[in-house]
Amino acid sequence: MISTRKFLRMLFGGGLLAPFLWLAGKRKSRKAAFLWQIDPDKCIQCGKCETACVLEHSAVKCVHQYAACGYCLFCSGYYQDKRVKFDTAAENLRCPTDAIKRKYIEDPYFEYTIDESACIGCGRCVKGCAAYGNGSLFLQIRQELCKQCNQCRIAEICPSHAVTRVPADQPYIFKRPPEVKT
Amino acid sequence: MIPFLAQARFPAPEFENYTVPQLQLETLVRDPIAWRVSALLIFLVVSGLCFYRWRSSKVMRLLALAGVVIFGFIFTACPCPVGMFQNLLAAFVHGQPLGYGLLLLFAIPLAAALLFGRLFCAGACPLGAVQELLLWKAIRIPVPVDRALRFIPIAIFLFVAVAVVAGMAFPLCSLDPYLPLFLWSCTIPTVAFLVLGLFVSRPFCRYVCPYGVLLRLFSLVSWKAPSVTAQTCITCRLCEQGCPNGAILPPESAPTSEEQARGVRRLSRLIAVVPLALCLGGILGWIAAPVISSTHPAVRLLADIEAHRTGDAVEAFEASGTPLAQLQNEVAQTRHVFDWGMPLAGVLLAGAVMAELIAQARRRRESSSYTIDQSLCYCCGRCYAACPLNRKRETRKGTAT
Repeated sequence: MISTRKFLRMLFGGGLLAPFLWLAGKRKSRKAAFLWQIDPDKCIQCGKCETACVLEHSAVKCVHQYAACGYCLFCSGYYQDKRVKFDTAAENLRCPTDAIKRKYIEDPYFEYTIDESACIGCGRCVKGCAAYGNGSLFLQIRQELCKQCNQCRIAEICPSHAVTRVPADQPYIFKRPPEVKT
Repeated sequence: MIPFLAQARFPAPEFENYTVPQLQLETLVRDPIAWRVSALLIFLVVSGLCFYRWRSSKVMRLLALAGVVIFGFIFTACPCPVGMFQNLLAAFVHGQPLGYGLLLLFAIPLAAALLFGRLFCAGACPLGAVQELLLWKAIRIPVPVDRALRFIPIAIFLFVAVAVVAGMAFPLCSLDPYLPLFLWSCTIPTVAFLVLGLFVSRPFCRYVCPYGVLLRLFSLVSWKAPSVTAQTCITCRLCEQGCPNGAILPPESAPTSEEQARGVRRLSRLIAVVPLALCLGGILGWIAAPVISSTHPAVRLLADIEAHRTGDAVEAFEASGTPLAQLQNEVAQTRHVFDWGMPLAGVLLAGAVMAELIAQARRRRESSSYTIDQSLCYCCGRCYAACPLNRKRETRKGTAT
């Protein structure tokens, strides 16, 4: 036989559990793993990713979709707007950490690659590429660096709400092809 | 890989001896949540054994160290059960995905609290474990101040709940001062809480942590209760002085009739004040609602647009091409949630304050020994070490062998 006191306590405990069980049962999507990712179509390259991440060096890096690149000689993601002349002196380059490397392919084309260990995710090159080029450079959260915080600090302050949750089997968002204009 | 062309200003050239490289990014990211949940379960069982069977404060200290290493550094401290009630609410209100792993992460510590008290706080919570290890010279906080400060977590809990329902980013996650520590970086709140933690026992657990509110409620009715000593208490008060969290209750003697009459009067006065307090809480919440809703990003954005201020958010909004009516609609909904939620939160907070006052005013069960208040006990085992009866038994054992 259990005492009245114990019974009341069990009742109270059950009463505490009930709302949470109810909430848990009512949830709509039961999918397990979700990751944070930047939607490049919404991103306005404000540069907040660089500093908002909880990591010392942001998990946001620039990635390069080579298939869309024009391999330009005068790459607007590579050179500054206020460059003195088109050479590789630091004052002419857009990247503050020299993370964009370029390699001569054939006249007049250059291949541009991102050195992710140097990239700080500031998005300056992305802005330049989107403004004057093909937009083949874009920012993505590198999932192998990301700590998968419950609430991404970048998502918290992203002015364009570009940081969203994506399913674990589609960890990256690529730009949509432009709408076919009729 | 999906080919894309944002703007084909410069068509891709045709090369002779060069193939365009593919963008190499991983296609599937593994989630260690199953490991995390099993580790939590095993850790809680071990802490239960340490706390109830071996009854050693040193082992509990070691356990806290293990907790920091395992749940702080090996599994990163986030996501943790502390913030999980936000996910639960968001899953319910906004249909945000919530897997069974995270749900278990939320439920297991509460189930443990229902059975064995707040074992989770002892070591399995990396935040609690860090504070446990850091306590150097505990300053006793006066009881009334301590009781008053303990309402802050309830207020935070209610506010966070309202904010999550209103669709804000999880506010609790940015309140956690210890997360940067586990990622090898540092912020001003981290340093402040670490320094405070040297002198005040568990400042975050006691005066900030909203999950502690739930654990406290659940451990009120916990099935197994610890006792300072298995022998008859000699009421030496050493355990009360040894407890840095004020979780030891002094003995309660039978009341004199005069005391009883005074107690009844005080209790009836408190119960009479309850409706007034609830009203006051509601009004305070109602006053706070517009102030708090103005921190919501959508509300701020609309205010910026209406005042013709420029900024990143305004620029992004204009670039996205979302109609203004949609934003206005969203803002109206947010305001609605805050206008109803904040007064409700105020009433609930006032209710919690009154419940605490009434619980303090009413008589406890008679007891001739110092007992542990499980709802405030963080299972550190300091009282076991402080009790001279436990010590005597150990030395007796030592001389016998």
